[in-house]
Amino acid sequence: MSAVPTRLSEFATAVPDRFWLALFVLLFGLVAAYVVGVINRRLLTRAGVPEVIEGTAFERTAREFDTSTVRILAQLSSYFIVAVALIVALTVADVNYLEQFWSGVAAFLPRLFVAAVVLIVGIVVGDKAEMLVAERLRGIKLPELGVLPPLVKYSVVYVATLVALGQVGVQTLALIVLLAAFALAVVLFAALATKDLVASAAAGVFLLLRQPYGIGDEVRVAGERGIVQEVDLFVTRIEADGEEHVVPNHSVFRDGIVLIRE
Amino acid sequence: MASLTDHLSDLVADADAVLLFSPTSSFHDRFEDGDTEVVVVAPDNDVDAEVFVELPLPFDNVKDRIRFGIEGAMDADLVSAGDEVVCIASVFDGGSDAVIRVTVDDTVHTGIYDLFVNSRAEPSVIRDVFEVAIELGQKGQKGKPVGALFVVGDAGKVMNKSRPLSYNPFEKSHVHVGDPIVNVMLKEFSRLDGAFVVSDSGKIVSAYRYLEPGAEGVDIPKGLGARHMSGAAITRDTNSTSIVLSESDGLVRAFKAGELVLEIDPEEY
Repeated sequence: MSAVPTRLSEFATAVPDRFWLALFVLLFGLVAAYVVGVINRRLLTRAGVPEVIEGTAFERTAREFDTSTVRILAQLSSYFIVAVALIVALTVADVNYLEQFWSGVAAFLPRLFVAAVVLIVGIVVGDKAEMLVAERLRGIKLPELGVLPPLVKYSVVYVATLVALGQVGVQTLALIVLLAAFALAVVLFAALATKDLVASAAAGVFLLLRQPYGIGDEVRVAGERGIVQEVDLFVTRIEADGEEHVVPNHSVFRDGIVLIRE
Repeated sequence: MASLTDHLSDLVADADAVLLFSPTSSFHDRFEDGDTEVVVVAPDNDVDAEVFVELPLPFDNVKDRIRFGIEGAMDADLVSAGDEVVCIASVFDGGSDAVIRVTVDDTVHTGIYDLFVNSRAEPSVIRDVFEVAIELGQKGQKGKPVGALFVVGDAGKVMNKSRPLSYNPFEKSHVHVGDPIVNVMLKEFSRLDGAFVVSDSGKIVSAYRYLEPGAEGVDIPKGLGARHMSGAAITRDTNSTSIVLSESDGLVRAFKAGELVLEIDPEEY
């Protein structure tokens, strides 16, 4: 009867302590990976992520493979922890062959993980941005505006890809230069296109706050004389003899205001 | 079931036109090949219908919605008095679930379509002012019946045709009708004498205004007081619309171009 426990204890003593430790680390890693995966999934669900990304292309693709974005993210974190635990276990167990390889992997793994997460988040955010822009533009029935939503999407995805590639150490200088040129063009065009609008809004804020003239006053602005009917952020409406002049606020400001008093 | 189908075919027999209220495009397409004239009544022409009447407000009351649609169709000479029209509308939320047969006559013409669509001010502004007036008529000011006069649209001219009775509580403010807190403010200020002036976009320009229009030739029903008279007269001199809550009989009336166009009882609304 006493032979079996003796055998077991012999076996236990024969195996080096560090193997037990490695096994323990591995087990702990597996449990931690599972727990973190579950917690991540719950947190993301609680934060309302599934509702926000509902209907994006990535989510739909994920659904086709019987999974979801949230589950993919949670599993990714689990795999990451398992991999780290595996490496730690191997190190503890002092398996000295392929040591060079494992140390390289250990350094590379977190970056790969971050890159994957950035890429997924980038794609999902890009999809979402595309949907939002498309929704805003739906009221305006102009076929030319159809290029805008994909443009927004691919800009976001492009930036995410850049960050991800940068994480895994790929040379991205050329891509960054491309991005800078693109961003510069967008900013330049936006500035050119909205110059007058921004100037009008700035003048409009002044006009609304200080009210140099109000509704019902007779004024002459930008060469038009009449009764003020409406002042909003961008334009002033002046009416005279059945003609309503819509004067942009920046020209009101530039040319000055004449208040007419009898 | 046969009697049910018979009843439905009786209902739609020899209709001169069919009015589709906010139809889906697939639903609208099913009517394309029919013989009867199809009129789409909706806030936006989403289905690219050839004959379209704009609904500026999503009337919850189906009766009002149908009246509005018929008036709009009459206005555009799509239907005329004596026509039999069939309206397909949504009574409960969701798809088109009701078929209603209406005979068009001139009594349907309440002026409500004209009031909303052909006013200078935006339809939503007129609706908001109406809602304030109706709420004020239902509850009064602290339980007592109260009168009020709102002049909506063409505010620049109205301001020049009136003078302040006291300082203007809305001076240098940027409040618009339809904002819940503003509705409370308007109710509080309704104890003041004089008119409220509201601009085309809904900005409350002034309270406490004494209107000074020329009142010659204004023809409003006898028995209405000074508030209605000045409210009607200002709409003749300017392009505004005035909405008046009567203190004595509690009715809300709207005037345009010096004429009474709409009269509603807040209690029935």
